[in-house]
Amino acid sequence: MQMTQGWGSWLIDLEVRWQRNRQITAIRQTLRLSFPFVLLGSLAQFVDEAWLQTNGYYYQTLHVAKWLFQLRALREYLRLISAGTLGLMAMFMAFGVSFYLVAPSTERIADRLLAGITAVISLKFFNVSRGSVLSLQPVKWVSTNLGLTGILMGLLVGLLVGNTYRWGLARQQRAADSLGAMFGITSSWVLGAALLGLLWISTQTVSLNAAFVGLLRAPLQLPHFLLGLLGVSALTSVYQWLGVLGPLTISGQSMITTQNLAAVLDHRGWQVPHPLTLHTIVNVYAQFGGSGMLLGLLFAIFLTRGACRQQRVAWLSLIPTLGNVGAPLMVGVPVVLSPLLGIPLLLAPLATISVSWLCVRLAWVPAVAYPLATGTPGPLLAYLGTGGSWPALLLALVDLAISTAIYYPFVKWHRLAQLKEGGAHDEA
Amino acid sequence: MKPKFWVLLGLLLLACLPGFWWRPHQEAVVRAQYRSELDPIILVPGSSATQNRFNALVKELNHETNTTHSLLRVEVMTDGTLKYSGTLAAGDDHPFIVVGFQDRHDGYANIVKQAKWFTIAFKKLQATYHFNHFSAMGHSNGGLVLTLFMENDLAATQTHADKLMTIAAPFNLEEADPDVDTPMFKLLEAGRQRLPKNLVVYSIAGSKTFTGDGIVPFDSVNRGKYLFQDQVKGFTQITVTGANANHADLPENQQIVGLMRQDILP
Repeated sequence: MQMTQGWGSWLIDLEVRWQRNRQITAIRQTLRLSFPFVLLGSLAQFVDEAWLQTNGYYYQTLHVAKWLFQLRALREYLRLISAGTLGLMAMFMAFGVSFYLVAPSTERIADRLLAGITAVISLKFFNVSRGSVLSLQPVKWVSTNLGLTGILMGLLVGLLVGNTYRWGLARQQRAADSLGAMFGITSSWVLGAALLGLLWISTQTVSLNAAFVGLLRAPLQLPHFLLGLLGVSALTSVYQWLGVLGPLTISGQSMITTQNLAAVLDHRGWQVPHPLTLHTIVNVYAQFGGSGMLLGLLFAIFLTRGACRQQRVAWLSLIPTLGNVGAPLMVGVPVVLSPLLGIPLLLAPLATISVSWLCVRLAWVPAVAYPLATGTPGPLLAYLGTGGSWPALLLALVDLAISTAIYYPFVKWHRLAQLKEGGAHDEA
Repeated sequence: MKPKFWVLLGLLLLACLPGFWWRPHQEAVVRAQYRSELDPIILVPGSSATQNRFNALVKELNHETNTTHSLLRVEVMTDGTLKYSGTLAAGDDHPFIVVGFQDRHDGYANIVKQAKWFTIAFKKLQATYHFNHFSAMGHSNGGLVLTLFMENDLAATQTHADKLMTIAAPFNLEEADPDVDTPMFKLLEAGRQRLPKNLVVYSIAGSKTFTGDGIVPFDSVNRGKYLFQDQVKGFTQITVTGANANHADLPENQQIVGLMRQDILP
């Protein structure tokens, strides 16, 4: 193994130490466990959005409606698949983390499962239809915000519940006591979480997950200046890194986008009233392969040598990433909660935003005004958004190169860290 | 460079190909799909009513909804010039625009003329405010004016009509005999295939007696189905009875105000 000096080795050490932490290990194991579901769901989502919906890239360019039969039935089918996989990720995370946390403390499979199930139930107590409980109707469960945006919430609940079980198991002396201890912890969690859940719904009008997502969205305001754009991008990257993978939309953007489009359609020439916005810079030049320029990560992984888990995940995530669905790479590698890969996840979009902002600000490249079709390959967004401007395409390719270059060293170090770790998790 | 790197690059290029191929058609698609933020609700009064006919109705609608929409009144003079009163507030995406006519006499020839005057006003409004879609409501002959406009002149303006509500529109004028076709009905029927395919139409009939609202016979309103059915996206016919169900009171009828709020307001 080639020894890496300075920063690299320090970062590799940090990554290895971080990964050996028991809480982090449990989270990473859960993320890897969920990869097949995330991949399937993302593929379904990609096909649905890019091929079957009217504002999808392939739908528009390949005239899918003209040659595909049963379009509606196919959409219903795919939406069901993505709802069943991506849509329930928070519950999956709560279960997995709690299960894996308890796993080293007990050999009894039943105890581990119990910890996982308790975490799921606790999470559900906060995602219940308010009206149905308060009016004494049959209770209805709510599943909005249990999807990719809810992953962090699921992780936190899993950690809380799992650690209580670990604490309880450490207290008991003989294996024979297990039943009593497990019953004690389970019942106190169920009773406690139900009470807190009831307290929540009787005082709050939205589910805990919805409130959490709302809280995360609050700092995202509509910026026009470079610092504002960089700030929003950095914040998005941090959320992604923490596991809030869903889209966090910012209100007010659509009005500005419509004004830009109206200006281009109503007047001759390409005069855009708001050339520097989230839509014209961040969405177009900093989200190839999903937020965080994950297409750059994919290129960087394919540029490195040798076969390992990273490469296998990259091959499998190829199609969704080309369609700007980044969840499989985030969860599969995983980039989520990896200090080493978190750095380029933050830096790559910041670099491309700065370069693109400068180019648009100096009018070397026109600002996008046309609506962007879902699933458009990243580097083509700017070209189609500007109605076919070659400088815009060139800028997008430069941005792709920059992001690949930023990811490249970190991907190499990440591989070294994985090798140092012993590849033990590959089997997990 | 690794071979897998080239595979990725090739796939990326392959994914981009349809985009390059589609690009020359893009502008037409964008234009066709584009809808302006401004989406006015155009109101046309019936014969012998002025552009002030709907002041009370607009006040009532604004009172019942959370957002207050501005009201612009336009009177089309016989020489084709426009007289404006009222305002169109900045930032109001769904203002009411009432189009009335200086010559507001009843009769077949005059209604056809009013439809042409309406076209003049519509084009000027569109040039001033840059909207490319709208909804409309016409009371009595105003409904005929709007229907004639949509059959004959709408397509040339490249504007999309979303919803149309006609209140007691006499598609067969005041003719109560179902076996007699008036020239107005024949004219409307001849042009029905030119009606916009994506239009949603609500035709409301007032019923004071069992045969009509006191002025327009029920059969004349009922003729709407021969014009709109199978031509537009949706056609709903509603009969309103009870208090204020006679012809002139219909625009202030609470049930109709409710229907407008529900079906025409965005």
